[in-house]
Amino acid sequence: MRIAIIKPGLLSTVQDMGRWQHLSQGVPRSGAMDALSARIANLAVGNTIDKAVIEFTYADALFRSEDDLLLAYSGDGAVLKAGSYVLPSDRPVYVPSGTEICLAPNASGCRTYLAVAGGWDVAEVLGSRSTYITAAFGGYEGRALRPGDLLHAADNHTAITAAWCRHLWGRAIRYPPWAIARGHFLPPNRYSIRVVPAREFAWFVGKSVVDLLSAPFTVSTRCNRMGYHLEGPALHRTVDRELISTAVVPGTVQVTGDGNPLLLMADCQTTGGYPRIAQVATVDMPLCAQLKPGDMIFFNEISRSEAEKLYLHRENQLNRLAASLAMHTPTM
Amino acid sequence: MHVKNADAFVVYSLSEYAVTVQFDDRINADMLERIRSFNALLHRHPFDGFRTTVPAYTTLSVYFDPLDVMQASRLTGINCFERVSNFLHGLQAGWSIALAPAPDPTPIPLCYGGAFGPDLDDVARQLGIAAATVIELHSAAIYRVHLIGFTPGFAYLGGMPKQLAGPRKASPRNKVTAGSVGIAAEQTGIYPLDTPGGWQIIGRTPLRLFDTGREQPALLKAGDRVVFQAIDHELFERFSSDADADSDN
Repeated sequence: MRIAIIKPGLLSTVQDMGRWQHLSQGVPRSGAMDALSARIANLAVGNTIDKAVIEFTYADALFRSEDDLLLAYSGDGAVLKAGSYVLPSDRPVYVPSGTEICLAPNASGCRTYLAVAGGWDVAEVLGSRSTYITAAFGGYEGRALRPGDLLHAADNHTAITAAWCRHLWGRAIRYPPWAIARGHFLPPNRYSIRVVPAREFAWFVGKSVVDLLSAPFTVSTRCNRMGYHLEGPALHRTVDRELISTAVVPGTVQVTGDGNPLLLMADCQTTGGYPRIAQVATVDMPLCAQLKPGDMIFFNEISRSEAEKLYLHRENQLNRLAASLAMHTPTM
Repeated sequence: MHVKNADAFVVYSLSEYAVTVQFDDRINADMLERIRSFNALLHRHPFDGFRTTVPAYTTLSVYFDPLDVMQASRLTGINCFERVSNFLHGLQAGWSIALAPAPDPTPIPLCYGGAFGPDLDDVARQLGIAAATVIELHSAAIYRVHLIGFTPGFAYLGGMPKQLAGPRKASPRNKVTAGSVGIAAEQTGIYPLDTPGGWQIIGRTPLRLFDTGREQPALLKAGDRVVFQAIDHELFERFSSDADADSDN
């Protein structure tokens, strides 16, 4: 199964669940910014959750199926359309060869994930297929997709994928009458981000702590896969010594010299020297991945153990989802 | 020689899937050895769910899979953080820092000044010494890798002679060429990739600091010792073509 990129859109990269083994060498984790949508797209075509997907940023991309395809997409950056025909998200979709599919705007978010049966077949670099553009490795030739790129899918299908292929194969676009309820995994308010106080939380004056947890913060135009600069009330410190550089992870909220928060995202550095005021709960990182410049968010404090419970609950939910999809595989 | 470690460390949560072991809040002379020794111990005795570690100046961060940690029958505690920190404290209790002999220094050939080190003369002027003295001081010291960070393979080297300490550039360069060696405050470092950078660039090495084709992609790791060997342009070119030939094989 292959697709040809006709228009790549703003930034389209191949990503998986990231690169964990070389953090000590300064190699960022990378991977899908919205790991929930990426995993749901994979599960929908019967893949294991760690397969490579394409991460599209906003809409305005166009690709063509060069073979008959089984694909699925998830996320809030765009709606996939074949002509005026809207392809439903969060479920397996059969697309015949030669179909042009465009990404039409979906104002609610930023990033959309395209999974294919077997996963996109790019070489594994340092244990992952994720693109890390800064160092030009991983993904499709270490770079964002360009017009004319041809992406192949791996053909080692799971039994579930094979069953969906048999079931949906035909002459026209086909899909089952259900979808994975992605919204069920997410809190109702997508602009309320849960955080745990981080190591240097107490370095900040009381008013700034109150501001952090009650005032709105706006995503500035300085936002990319490495991190988002946020604008809001300046956060002031009581401690003026410098932090000795130590590990940071995606979701760490650092406070830069000008008093503004910097929310680290998937391609962030492995270490940093700005004080860390908060850590976003990992379950809310998919919400952050869908934020756009100008979006206003609020931070809500939860405890470390609560964040951990939410994390374990989310993982168990996804495992149950995978098991239930396996049980509901069509038989011929 | 074994020295019993009496100092306690603090373990704090970094995220749901990582904790940080804080050894001290200052950079001590023996800090690197303690972190290196505990890191090696942990890698010899990993817990179920252990993924990797990130050593830094005064900390060792430990990454794990929370699901595996919760399912591990040998770990005790009601949540992941407790389970991992209990394990780390238990490991510490039986820990004696094995003061392994310091590793042999890795020689880094370095072509100082000229087009490769555009800030060398400025640095010399600011310090009020000759450029040759900067080179002499910089290449005489033995450095220690405190941290790999900033970009893949970027080594922060401690141990620079204090006479060379000076400010960063007023405005960072948009592009510093891979292999460039910079100095800032009391540190020196080597840029492994073409990236923006604000350090004073005094020379360039022909070695590849980062290569995804190697088992250990970064040439250096935390704890390594490093010396710079001054080379001329001709030798730089010869090293560069050797490096290219190696990577073609």
